[in-house]
Amino acid sequence: MTNTLIALSINGLVWGLIIALIALGLSVIFGLLDIINLSHGDFFMIGTVIAWTVLTTTGSFWPAFLLAPLVGFVLGALIQRIVLQPIRNAAALSIVATFGLSMILQEVVRMTFGPTPRRILPPIRGTFDLFGIDYEIYRLFAAAVSILALAAFFLFLHHTKLGTWMRAVRHDPETATAMGIPAQRVYRVTFGLGFALAALGGVVASPITTVDFRAGVDVLPFCFMAVIIGGLGNLPGTAAAAVLLAFLEGIISSFATPTVARIASLVLMSAVLLLRPQGLFKGLTK
Amino acid sequence: MENSNDPKVNRRSFLQYALAGGAATGVANLTIMKDLFAQAPAGPIVIGHHVELTGGFASWGYWHDKAARKAVDLINQGGGIAKRKVVLATEDTESNPASGARKLRNLIQRANAEFVMGSVHSGVMLAAIPIATELKTIYMSMGEATEATGSKGTRYSFRTGMDTYSIAAAGVPWCMENLGKNWTVIYADYAWGQSHFQETKVIVEKLGGKVVGNIPVPLDAKDFVPYLTQIPAETQVVFSIFFGSLSVAFYTQSKSMGIGKRAKMYSVSGTLEAIAPADIEGAAEGVYILENFPRMLKYKDDGFHKEHNKIMELDDIDAREAGSKRIMAKSHAWQSWEDLYTLKAAIETSGYKTRKDTEGVIRALEGLPMKNSLGHPQGDKLLRKEDHSGILDCYISLIENGRFEVKKKIPKEDLAKNMPVRHDLSKMPV
Repeated sequence: MTNTLIALSINGLVWGLIIALIALGLSVIFGLLDIINLSHGDFFMIGTVIAWTVLTTTGSFWPAFLLAPLVGFVLGALIQRIVLQPIRNAAALSIVATFGLSMILQEVVRMTFGPTPRRILPPIRGTFDLFGIDYEIYRLFAAAVSILALAAFFLFLHHTKLGTWMRAVRHDPETATAMGIPAQRVYRVTFGLGFALAALGGVVASPITTVDFRAGVDVLPFCFMAVIIGGLGNLPGTAAAAVLLAFLEGIISSFATPTVARIASLVLMSAVLLLRPQGLFKGLTK
Repeated sequence: MENSNDPKVNRRSFLQYALAGGAATGVANLTIMKDLFAQAPAGPIVIGHHVELTGGFASWGYWHDKAARKAVDLINQGGGIAKRKVVLATEDTESNPASGARKLRNLIQRANAEFVMGSVHSGVMLAAIPIATELKTIYMSMGEATEATGSKGTRYSFRTGMDTYSIAAAGVPWCMENLGKNWTVIYADYAWGQSHFQETKVIVEKLGGKVVGNIPVPLDAKDFVPYLTQIPAETQVVFSIFFGSLSVAFYTQSKSMGIGKRAKMYSVSGTLEAIAPADIEGAAEGVYILENFPRMLKYKDDGFHKEHNKIMELDDIDAREAGSKRIMAKSHAWQSWEDLYTLKAAIETSGYKTRKDTEGVIRALEGLPMKNSLGHPQGDKLLRKEDHSGILDCYISLIENGRFEVKKKIPKEDLAKNMPVRHDLSKMPV
């Protein structure tokens, strides 16, 4: 029992880090653009499809770690320009637009990649004994990649000119524009970065889950829960909430049914909405 | 002072509007009823197809659609049904019960479908049956939730394929004898998975076995580690019920955790439907699967099966479509092909001309035997009179080297013996 508890706690941390990577993109987009992006799960899905395509065409999985975020960034910037910029001032419309975008992305992938789910073998094979369960080595690698990507993003946000611009536009768009910061370009870069983070999450998760045109549908609710618990637009809060949620589900799953664990996460989210609507991690850097 | 132009409703205007509204409703109703009940018998016969072309079941729906279109072409080349040309009206359910319900009304009320071949999605199917019944239209169900020909069945719902009851009755006895008596059931936590769990548990316990683990998994699960660690150590058979990507994720993660090394893995065709084991890099290797139409031609090696594969453009090993990577959803999509021939037989036997003759078709379907033929390439079967359920041959296959190798054929007679009638739908009013 104790061994299972420890193993599931560690697994919760590992899985939470992967989810944090995906949820961070959602939070970035909301934090800066005030867009509730219902197509964010599909950005993750696009990442898994890019990983599968890279693997089948080159025979190697590794280039996907570079290609998926790059393609994601370009696609994100294009989507922001074509779909979201024209409706910039209408928050309700952005929900409808991103919902439509989600359907378009899914159907395009269904028509090109096909409706059948695929599996990607992990690039690092093998398992080890983690407190009595056979645990994949690749999962630890995935967690390490997630930590690196999260750290790199926060460094970028706080130690580069573009990162400073992004925080300035988030804080006060009018003043930032008056100071000569190109707000429209910042919006485009931000959406591109959100897409790139989700696509990278897709590459990292693809050998653990599957490649499927509807893969993003299942990821989105968990990401939203992380964003809500962490505080809308609160980036460190979102990452911490994703880890907390997965960790919590891992622990509860060791002594109750997995469904009870999921219910516990939802109860936590409801409690946060009721008692701390600003999120659990208010006060952390936005 | 009252203004004569005041648009307020008074008693006179109310009566005028009420009479006009009543007359309009009456005319509309007569028009609809005229369409429903008085179609010219000499014209084409419209058969609806309520199918998943998009959404979660799209990989299956493609094959249901293709099978139906090919069968309609064949039937029309042979002179149609009762010398009437068959027109197939197709509606996409979007793999969504709410959309499916709306689309079914479109099929019946707008496209004038006189019979409907129904959805393989259990949720859509269960939402559709009350509507089909209300509109007095025969609905050939294809989903596996047993309720369609059980507690929620009506005189209008039929199923030539299998449900969770018949799947349990067909597969569990052999598995109990050959794989083990302590079972863990791990399943997608919705109607289909729950129904499998309940039906399987009853038969396992009836045969002296024990269900030691009951693990429902939320539909949005991506990480299976918390669920796989719940499998009790004494488990001899892990029975898994998932479909599509959830199924691939289950096989992938259970393989990496070595579940198959400590227990036998058993599942149903739905978990690997439209998927070639070789395409998921061996994740399903060593899993026993209950099929009802062998994936490989050699296990039902006859001219009808061969011709069916040829018309559907399938290879004879993986059931892969020529020129594409698609794998036929073989243990389900045959129903869209065969149900057209089933309806043809019942329509012609009963002398059906218009919708008012539907009761005759129902009576002809109840107890209808079907012979192994090009119209019924899956094989001989019976549409049992009482519960409108298909009684057919099944096969237990083992995934070996990426192929479905049949290990045991379960004859339809054994299936019938193991699944006594629980609901008599034939005594319900039409």
